[in-house]
Amino acid sequence: MTTQPSVKTVTVTVDGVSLSVPEGTLLVEAAKQIQEDIPVYCYHTKLGPAGLCRICLVEIEKMPKLQIACNTVVTDGMVVHTASDKTMEGRRAVLEFLLLNHPLDCPICDKGGECDLQDFSMAYGQGASRKVEAKVAKPKAVDLGPTIVLDEERCIVCQRCVRFDDIITQERSLVVKDRGHRDIIATSTEEPYVSDFSGNVTELCPVGALTSKTYRFKSRPWDLNRTKTTCTQCSVGCQLYVDERYGDVLRTMSVAEDETSDGWLCDRGRYNIGFYNDPQRIASPLLRRGDEWEQIGWDDAVALWARQIREARDTTGPESIGVIGGGRLLNEEAFLLQHLFRSLGVENLDWRAGRQTVATPVFSGTYEELEAAQTILVFGVPPSQTAPVMDLRIRKAVVQRGARLVTVGPHSSGSSVTETHVRRVADIPSDAFDAERIAVVFDGIDATPMRDLHERFAELKRAGKSLIGFIPGEQPNARGAEAMGMLPRDGGRGTREVFSAAKDGGIRVLSLFGVNPALRFADGALATAALERTPFIVLSELFLTDTARFASLVLPAHGPFERDGHVLDMTGRVQRLFAAHAAPGGALSDGEMLVALADALDIEIPSPSALTARARAPEKRAMPRGEIRAAAPGGEAALRVIIRSDIFAGGGTVYHDERLEELRPRPIATLHPRTAQALGVAAGDLVDVIAGDRALRGLIVRVADAASEGTIRVVDGLPGAPANVLFDGEEVQVTKLEPAAPLAAAGAVAG
Amino acid sequence: MQLEKILTAGIGELDLCDIAVYREQGGYAQFERAVKELQPAAIVDIAAKSGLRGRGGAGFPTGRKWQFLPNNGRPRYMVCNCDEAEPGTFKDRMLLEYTPHQIIEGILIGTYAIGSRHAYMYIRGEFKRGYETFMKALEQARAADYVGERLFGSDYSVELTVHRGAGAYICGEETALLNSLEGKRGEPRLKPPFPAIKGLYGEPTVVNNVETLGYLPHILRRGPEWFAGVGTPKSTGYKIVSMSGHVQKPGNYEIPLGLPMRTLVYDIAGGLPPGRKFMGIQPGGGSSACLFEEHLDLGYDYEALAGAGSMLGSGAAVVFDDTTDFVKAAHSLVRFFAHESCGQCTPCREGGNWLEMTLERMLHGRGVESDVDMLVDVSHSMTGINLCPLGDSIEPFLASVVKRFPEQFYAYVRTPQTAVAV
Repeated sequence: MTTQPSVKTVTVTVDGVSLSVPEGTLLVEAAKQIQEDIPVYCYHTKLGPAGLCRICLVEIEKMPKLQIACNTVVTDGMVVHTASDKTMEGRRAVLEFLLLNHPLDCPICDKGGECDLQDFSMAYGQGASRKVEAKVAKPKAVDLGPTIVLDEERCIVCQRCVRFDDIITQERSLVVKDRGHRDIIATSTEEPYVSDFSGNVTELCPVGALTSKTYRFKSRPWDLNRTKTTCTQCSVGCQLYVDERYGDVLRTMSVAEDETSDGWLCDRGRYNIGFYNDPQRIASPLLRRGDEWEQIGWDDAVALWARQIREARDTTGPESIGVIGGGRLLNEEAFLLQHLFRSLGVENLDWRAGRQTVATPVFSGTYEELEAAQTILVFGVPPSQTAPVMDLRIRKAVVQRGARLVTVGPHSSGSSVTETHVRRVADIPSDAFDAERIAVVFDGIDATPMRDLHERFAELKRAGKSLIGFIPGEQPNARGAEAMGMLPRDGGRGTREVFSAAKDGGIRVLSLFGVNPALRFADGALATAALERTPFIVLSELFLTDTARFASLVLPAHGPFERDGHVLDMTGRVQRLFAAHAAPGGALSDGEMLVALADALDIEIPSPSALTARARAPEKRAMPRGEIRAAAPGGEAALRVIIRSDIFAGGGTVYHDERLEELRPRPIATLHPRTAQALGVAAGDLVDVIAGDRALRGLIVRVADAASEGTIRVVDGLPGAPANVLFDGEEVQVTKLEPAAPLAAAGAVAG
Repeated sequence: MQLEKILTAGIGELDLCDIAVYREQGGYAQFERAVKELQPAAIVDIAAKSGLRGRGGAGFPTGRKWQFLPNNGRPRYMVCNCDEAEPGTFKDRMLLEYTPHQIIEGILIGTYAIGSRHAYMYIRGEFKRGYETFMKALEQARAADYVGERLFGSDYSVELTVHRGAGAYICGEETALLNSLEGKRGEPRLKPPFPAIKGLYGEPTVVNNVETLGYLPHILRRGPEWFAGVGTPKSTGYKIVSMSGHVQKPGNYEIPLGLPMRTLVYDIAGGLPPGRKFMGIQPGGGSSACLFEEHLDLGYDYEALAGAGSMLGSGAAVVFDDTTDFVKAAHSLVRFFAHESCGQCTPCREGGNWLEMTLERMLHGRGVESDVDMLVDVSHSMTGINLCPLGDSIEPFLASVVKRFPEQFYAYVRTPQTAVAV
């Protein structure tokens, strides 16, 4: 790390109080030191000054005119009056102007009660308007995109949304159109506003112009119960506020001062909250009776589970028992899980249930360090679709701090910033390693590049460079699971070996916790075969997923906002979860299930306080590197499959959140025009993708110039179109595309 | 009264759009001399010594503006502002259409002086004829090797890029102009940073008016002392004044600064039509305050006009006689500024439209007595708190005529009652 040059301080007097602040500080920020909040609309700490709204006018001695505090850099000896008559007159005038054309519909406005225009009007406004003409009529309830509704009349044109889209996401879709008092917010292309970060604009909007479709007309802010917790939709670990009312999670809000999220949320984290009370959510333990599910009580369910485990251990031995889970559990639960089964002599323990193989990087870094990196190397699946908020850090590093982004593998970054994209490790520009601070972002799936670069990395470390790694994997707490010991050791078998054994009838009881290998495991055919052959499968879940089709017993678990405990984010930081929503009466937390199971099996478990202490003190324990998969063999590929991640894919919480329907990816196969032509298919065709004896049925062909020739890109994790059937853990090659059978195709599209 | 013509010399007599004619008049000789004989810093000194001030409206000393550029080794840009759109101003258009080579030479000298190798000419969109004339002239200048690589055998190369605006008044504000030039929305930028530090494409930039740059060849030829010797100590040299309104001979007149306004109105512009009485003069464009009979003996220069509460601005003088309806005149200007507000910042976006609607209501006979005070109060409230000067443009004229001719405004208010707030 470079040392910061010592910063000079200057002294400024604000309302008679003398403040010492670093040189270069903006007056609006300096004033916060004495809780003298200068009102702002367009200014935002993370967006910087814009000078548009003019509400932050203050009187500065020796200056003839009022000055805007947001763009005034404090200088030594500056004397500021934030409440003088002159200042107050300026504020009054600006508020009168702002309200001239702003509808006074506060009683039906979602922002009412937490609106800066309302608050500042009460504090500094004059009460009545002198305007007698009608207010300007503008479009109302504009459908801006799949997530956002815009009321142009309420807009005060602070442009925070436009600047967020420009400065933070770099996507530049929102613009101001027209001029003067007729100006409106719109998208530059007239296309819908689509962004994985769209919800942030509703929070940035100081008035009720931009609202979330999921929250419109749902509540008044003062009726909400607020809980601060950790988002566990991915491995970033963003802090967020959950606002709940009468048993419904109504919205989530970002935590401005959170160092993890930098104050932003992605739309998956923000909007995937509509599943908690979904009618399809499992509300009691379900026992399979042929093709039917029978609701049974918890005592019976746990007794059956315990009996199956005991019998298996006593007859075929602990090696015939397997446990998969942890990546969606709390640290406490993951620890309890491995403790319980290890007490029985079971070593077939693994959190891996998808394509991800490792979760703990060799050299960890913080998100702040990622932002300060000079070279960022991204291997494999881009974090924009697995850890979106982390991708904002990368964009910030590139755009605001001049970092160089190099993406390696079949995917380009999917981000909006400049990148160097190479397909092979050998093609990485060698000067990328000249930087002093290098960050490596690796999808945790195919570790071949890590192995190939092992020597290079060791060299960099020896040269004293800062080298840090991040694994934004598929499961939110995979790193926590590793740290809590939910990984095979002492001769235990990992998921792939357990499935191989199960396929041959070697596994009798398989306990699955919040995992969906039928849809997600890297080798779909192997997972399906294994699950089919295993006599007794217990699944702890929220919904009857693709994997539940193979289960004998399904146990209703607690959802993300229903838990109290700890997880590790991908950087290894301990994050706290507080329950914000009451789980359905029939559900138990995974921890409660395990306590009951331990009781039924007479296994001694640590006390709750010991468990908490353990959860807060993770050991760094990574997957043994021998587990890393070998490189895929090259060959005369007919068509190479590229599996694309999408933040709105999945068979669980998104699939059961009806309000997200528009955001869910469609079962699409993307081809380069020449590849499509060679295969004799056209855009819009319904096809079955055949790879030897495997088939992925009912995909819609999309043709895109951006696709690589000779590849077919499919989305991972879609119920009804599970791309993992094409994948056997190595690169597969599609041999042909066939027209889809009409029925199957129709089913896939509807699904 | 006989005036010495400088920038306007030859207009109407010679075809100065022809490079040969322009060269016969000594054209391009000063640029050649500058590149061959003068260091850029020497030209900056000459400009500073001449006392030349920006002729676009702000009147900022040109030499000092150039001196603000940081020596940071970054590329620099010279931008010529020909987005003339101030109500009443029509001098740059004349220069563009009749003496384009003089503008090109001025731009080239300025560009060389600030150590730049790339100049931009920003022409108001509506100036189609001027644009075409300028492009032809630029072609000739290029063919004659005044624009291009390694000029006059030196290692100095310069490029001149012409860009047409799309009709927004606000693009005459220098930072909005830079945004427009970059292909962005024509909205003024937040300052600081100023263009001298962070201008076009983020690099140090000077934006100079057409007329300002046009004087450069003449100052180089006749020396800064000559220019400084004309006018007043602080307002040196000549200025083209666009005379319009109720005068018998409207038009562009090049005058030595400091000339009494009475001379300007009565001798130069031919006075008012017979039988009319002088009521007022707006001396410096739509955003300047109206001056009256008692001000006519003031000199037409930056200090005297500012001292009287108005300004010289772009040099657009509009004369009003006793047939003037000042409510309508005010409404016309307010409507213009409200229409041209970019809408970025609150007071200008909202206040201008409010005043326009209020004046319209008064003109339609639906005004109330309190409206008159409100016009003054609101125009004052919206002044001095905007991001750029556009929002400050309404108050000067409106307030000055309400104060001088209140009876004209009250005449429109039929029923004396108080406005009802809604």
